[in-house]
Amino acid sequence: MTIETNTKDAALESLLKDMPSLIEGLRENRETYLTDAVLLGEIPSPTFGEEDRVRLALDRFRENGLDDPEIDDLGNASGILPGSEGSSSILVMAHADSVFGSDVRHVLNVGSDYITGPGIADNAIGMAAVVGLPNLLEKLGVHLKDDLLLLINTKSLGIANLEGSRGFLETKQRPIRAGICVEGAEQGRLSYSGLGALRGQINLRLPSNYDWHRFGAAGAISHLTRFVSQVMEIPVPKEPKTKMVFGEMHSGSSFNTSPRSGSLRFEISSEDDEVVHEMETQVNELCEQYSMETGIHVMMEVVAKRKNCGIPFTHPLVKTTRSIMSEAGVTPAVDPSTGDLNSIILAGHPGVTLGLTSAENVREANESIKLEPLYSGMAQMITLLRAIDQGLCES
Amino acid sequence: MTGNNQKWLDHNTFHHGEFWDILKLVEEKEKKGLKISLCIPTLNEEKTIGKEVLILRSELMERYPLIDEFAVIDSGSTDKTLEVASNFGADVYLASDILPEVGNKRGKGENLWKAIHQLKGDIICYVDADISNIHPRFVYGLVAPLIRREEVHYVKAFYDRPLNYSSGLRSSGGGRVTEILIRPLFSLFYPELTNIVQPLSGEYAARREVLENIPFPIGYGVETSHLLDLYDTFGLEAFAQTDLDRRVHRNQTTNALGKMSFGILQTFFNRLHAQGKIDKLPDLETFYRRFEVEDGVYSQIAQEVIEEERPPMIEIQGYLNRNQ
Repeated sequence: MTIETNTKDAALESLLKDMPSLIEGLRENRETYLTDAVLLGEIPSPTFGEEDRVRLALDRFRENGLDDPEIDDLGNASGILPGSEGSSSILVMAHADSVFGSDVRHVLNVGSDYITGPGIADNAIGMAAVVGLPNLLEKLGVHLKDDLLLLINTKSLGIANLEGSRGFLETKQRPIRAGICVEGAEQGRLSYSGLGALRGQINLRLPSNYDWHRFGAAGAISHLTRFVSQVMEIPVPKEPKTKMVFGEMHSGSSFNTSPRSGSLRFEISSEDDEVVHEMETQVNELCEQYSMETGIHVMMEVVAKRKNCGIPFTHPLVKTTRSIMSEAGVTPAVDPSTGDLNSIILAGHPGVTLGLTSAENVREANESIKLEPLYSGMAQMITLLRAIDQGLCES
Repeated sequence: MTGNNQKWLDHNTFHHGEFWDILKLVEEKEKKGLKISLCIPTLNEEKTIGKEVLILRSELMERYPLIDEFAVIDSGSTDKTLEVASNFGADVYLASDILPEVGNKRGKGENLWKAIHQLKGDIICYVDADISNIHPRFVYGLVAPLIRREEVHYVKAFYDRPLNYSSGLRSSGGGRVTEILIRPLFSLFYPELTNIVQPLSGEYAARREVLENIPFPIGYGVETSHLLDLYDTFGLEAFAQTDLDRRVHRNQTTNALGKMSFGILQTFFNRLHAQGKIDKLPDLETFYRRFEVEDGVYSQIAQEVIEEERPPMIEIQGYLNRNQ
C-alpha cells in the first residue's frame, strides 16, 4: 500500500464520518428540494415535450446564482457552480422527461413521510436534487474545488434514445472529471455500466386489397399475436446475460371490428453487442418471412440502439460509491443502465447512476416516494461529489 | 357596463403574472415597513395541507421573505391535519385556544376572525386549505396590490375553477353558488359589486385596519359580509382582484351548496336590513329544509344553519390589551 493510497483512505474515512451530520442537515433543509420536486413534478413533461418543466429548472439555476444558465438546442438546461479552483468539472444530471403524457393530471400529494403522484420518483425528485444542489451545498457548508456542472437533460426515455444527454456531452467541451446520473429510485441502485440495447417497433399492416377469404385470414391482432409467438421462439442466451422485453402493443378500437394495423414495442438488451445484433437480424428475418407467407406487411423499425459500455467494478469511483452506500446503511444493487449513464461513459467519462430513495408503483399514476430514506440518499450523492472533488475516485 | 365599472375593472383587476418578480415585491414591502401574515384555516385537510405548508413556507418565507408569519388555525380536526402541518414547519393553533375568554364557535369564519388577534401582520392573507394545485401565486398575487397601492384595502382572488371529479377535471364556470345566488343578488341590490368576478373565493388579503373593524360571520356568510360591509364603508375603490389562473379543489354536492346558500342568504338579508335597503325583515327561519326520497317515500330533512357573527375585533378587550 502506497503513501498516496493511505492518504486517500484517510480522506474517504473522514468524509464517511461526516455522513450522519450531513443526513441531519439534509433532513433540516428538506423544504428546499421537496418544494422543487413538487413544483417541477406538477408540470407535465412527456418526452419531446419537456419545455415548461425545463424552463422552471432554468429559473432555479438562475435564482441559485449559477454561472451561464442556459437552454441548449436540444432543450437541456444547464448551469455551472464555480469551484474554488475550477480546473475540471463534475457533472451531475437528471432527466426531465416522464412517461406520463400532458393529459394526465399532474397533482402531487404531500404527506408527513411520503409524496405521491405521477412522475415523482421518475424523475421529479431526482431533478429537484440536482436543481437544489447549489443551495444545499451552501447551507451544508460544502465547498468544492471543481466546478459543478448541473444538467437537466431532455429526451432521455423511450424512443428519444438519450438524444438530450448525448447531444449535450457531444457539444459541451469541458474537462469532466466524472459524472453522476441522479434517479429518484431505487435507493441502493448502483449502475456503472451501460447495457447494449436495441429498442424496436414492429409495425404490422394489412394491405388495402387484403383477401379476407384466404385460408388463415385474420385481423391485425391475430397476426400480431402469431408474430409475437414466433419472435418468442428466438433463443435468448443466459450467458452473456441477455433479455428481451415486450413492452407495449397497440391495435384495434372496438369490440367487433377487425383492425387492419397494429404495433409492438420491444427491447433487446445484452452484455454482448454481437448478441443484440444477431437477434436484430433474426427479428428482421421473421418479419420478411411472415410478410411473404401471409401477405401482411410486417416491418421492424429500430428506434434506439446503444452499445455496451462501462467502467470496471474495481474502478475507484465504483469502489468509493460502494463504501459510501455501506456507510449510509444501503446495500448496493448493481444494475446495468440503459439510461443517460451510457452517454457519459460513451463520451469517455467515468460515471455512475444513483437512486435516491424508496419508491412504490413507479410509472403508475399513484407513484410514491418515501421521505425518510431520501435524506441518506441525498447524503450519499453529496458525499460522492466531495470524494470525486478530492480526487478519491481516480486510478 | 358603465364607464366607472370599466375603469374599475381596468385599474383594479390584475393577473398574478404581473407580480412574478417576488424579490422586487419583498423590497417594496420592506421599504414600506409592512409585515405580512398568512393564515390557512383548516378542518380535516390532511390530504392537501402538507403541500400548502411546504410550498408556501419554502417559497415565500425562506427563498423570498415575502411572508413574515405563517399560521394554520384549526377548528378541531380529527384527522392528521395538525400533525402534517407542524411536520412541515407551520405554526399550528387551535381556534379554541385563541382568545379563550370569548368562547369557541365552530366555523371557518371563527378561525379567520381569531387570526386577526393571533397574527401580527399589517396585511393578512387567507388561503383555503383544499387547493390541490397550490402555488406561491395564490399568495403573492393577492398581497402585491396591497403592497403597491395604498388605496386598495382588500384583494379577492378569481380563477378558472375546474372541479375535481373522479372522472377528471371539469370546468365549473364562476362557481355554482356565485352564478345562481350571489350574482343575481348583487345585480339587484349592489350592481357595482358584480365587478368582483368570484365574490365567494376563499383566498383574499386585506389590511389589518380593515379586518379589525368589520364583523365576521363564523359560517358560510363570511366572504359575502366582507364585501358588503367594506363596500358600504369604502366603496368599490377599496377592492382589487387578481386572476390566479387555475384552482383545483374538491367538488361539493348540490345539497351542500344549498345549505351554504341558506347561510349566505341569512347574512345577505341581515346586511340589506342593516344598510337600509329593505324596511322590514321578518324573523328568519334557521332550518334549511330539503327532501330525500327512498323506496318511493319522500321525507323532509331539516338542518339548522345559524349564521352567528363575531363583532369587529377592535371591540374585543383581549385584542385591545394585546395592542397596548
